[in-house]
Amino acid sequence: MIKNIRAGDLTFQGIIVLAGGFMLIFTAAAVGLVLIRGIPGLISSISSPEIQFSIALSLKTSAVSTLSCIIIAIPVAYGLSRYHFRGKTLTASILSIPVSLPPLVSGTALLLLFGTTTLGKELSQAGVEFVFTPLGIIAAQFFVNAPYMIKIMKSTLDAVDPRLEFVARTLGLNQFEAFWRVTLPMAKNGIIAGTVITFARGLGEFGAALMLAGATRMKTEILPLSIYLNISTGNLEMALAAASVLIIISVAALFIFEALGGSFYETSRNK
Amino acid sequence: MLELRNISLSLGDFKLDKFSLTVKEGEYFVLLGPTGTGKTVTLELIAGLYQPEEGEVYFNGARIDNLPPEKRQIGFVYQDYALFPFLTVDENIKFPLTHRRIHPKEIRQKCLETMEMLGITHLLSRYPSALSGGEKQRTALARALVCSPRILLLDEPLSALDPSTRESLQEELKRIHCITGTTTIHISHDFKEALALADRIGVMHNGVLIQHGDPVEVFKCPASEFTASFLGSCNIFRGEADGSCVKLSEYIQVFTLDQKHGRVSISIRPEDIIISQDPVSASARNSFPGVVTSIINQGPLFKIEADCGIALTSLITGKAATEMELAIGSEVWMTFKTTAVNVI
Repeated sequence: MIKNIRAGDLTFQGIIVLAGGFMLIFTAAAVGLVLIRGIPGLISSISSPEIQFSIALSLKTSAVSTLSCIIIAIPVAYGLSRYHFRGKTLTASILSIPVSLPPLVSGTALLLLFGTTTLGKELSQAGVEFVFTPLGIIAAQFFVNAPYMIKIMKSTLDAVDPRLEFVARTLGLNQFEAFWRVTLPMAKNGIIAGTVITFARGLGEFGAALMLAGATRMKTEILPLSIYLNISTGNLEMALAAASVLIIISVAALFIFEALGGSFYETSRNK
Repeated sequence: MLELRNISLSLGDFKLDKFSLTVKEGEYFVLLGPTGTGKTVTLELIAGLYQPEEGEVYFNGARIDNLPPEKRQIGFVYQDYALFPFLTVDENIKFPLTHRRIHPKEIRQKCLETMEMLGITHLLSRYPSALSGGEKQRTALARALVCSPRILLLDEPLSALDPSTRESLQEELKRIHCITGTTTIHISHDFKEALALADRIGVMHNGVLIQHGDPVEVFKCPASEFTASFLGSCNIFRGEADGSCVKLSEYIQVFTLDQKHGRVSISIRPEDIIISQDPVSASARNSFPGVVTSIINQGPLFKIEADCGIALTSLITGKAATEMELAIGSEVWMTFKTTAVNVI
């Protein structure tokens, strides 16, 4: 009997090891291949104006869209976390629709909104042009990423005891001061983690940006669009260089997120 | 003086119903009641977390229920202390002062005075996670007291502590109240705590204040069966009163000083019942022979239950129990004075 159980255990553990090993090799091989072939190309092509433009535009658009996400997501998440109101579930569901949409569909929706409606035309006349411009990239990144940021911020704020804010108010702080001096510091790790992940996701945003901002070389050419343009014109070296930059940034972001996520979990558990 | 007038508030399943309460200036008021009866909500309403649906709250004649919490100057200490975990003890206590325009020197001075009063100066640079329950409680008290609140609200400040810490903190609360003279409302479910600390007590049940007054008075003469049993009176009986005599059953009647008629309840505190092996002849008119049915050792006291036709419970010292060689089945006399009988 004991022998059978042990044999069963071995099979069970064997499956786990095999599955884990398969995923590890598959991931490392695919990502590693890009890096091995892309990094030498990156070194030679880093001086090319196109890749420099692409990196700079990516960083700029993603920074601006991430900042916009933070500014909007914190109050929205606070409302969803702290207040009870009619239609709260419906509101939350509507807000998270972009999460489940394919980015191409999100891009199409934005293109319709900014390209064909009175709102879009008014904005365009006022000089705020989203269609086929870098501003469109920011709008696309914001539209796709804001719901994620709201989700992260909501779970962060859910973990902050609302009574701490109330105690701060009995100590003479108004609502805004109490939020600023108690809730925000308590949510610090969650905010940083959310910022990092949103920034990384912004850098990688492709579908929605392609639809709204188009893929114009040296105009709306962010890193993912650079890969797309260069692959389609057969310039594999440039495409792999851009891909390598994205991999490096994403892996770094993942490590920061995990580190903060881990410590965030620890503090909330030890509370 | 703090006055709650006809407050109504419903929160989910819970309801405060035409709740009224007056706490005098400088008074230590203990609000007693079982868990889930709305004591914490009452405090939170006084501090401004909730707005009453009906009724008003006044402080020294001025209406305060429409003021935001920060304008009320009411200190609040939660049962689990609610310290800011990302700040040290020192920073927690300075917290209410640092956003006001106060000179840093004065802040340090005030902070130090408060910490000295509570004996926590040595904890200065520690974080709340590194403090014991009693230390957290003192820090939370210091933080609430440092800005000299007009009222101090304490939400079960002693119930989460171990017995020895509880006792020393109870003394501390008394001492602090003597020094500061701050009007204090302390909620608790422990009547011993209330007796030790309160100038006046109130008993709350299902969102209603059912009795209030001098602690000894309320303790001796509970006005309802609920209050009697909540305050530890385990001898509660129903009967038919006829002047100074209450008939509990065909054979059992109890003499009282009261002159009520009709259906009544009576309560007798267990410590007012004397146990003896022989009948007591003195002035006590209520004396019943019975058989001991249970003996429970409660530490310093023994709880003895005897069947005398009615089940009477008495609290006696361990020494007395041993001297009488009490055991289950012992034949005893249970005796209490007419003055010990509270007629409800």
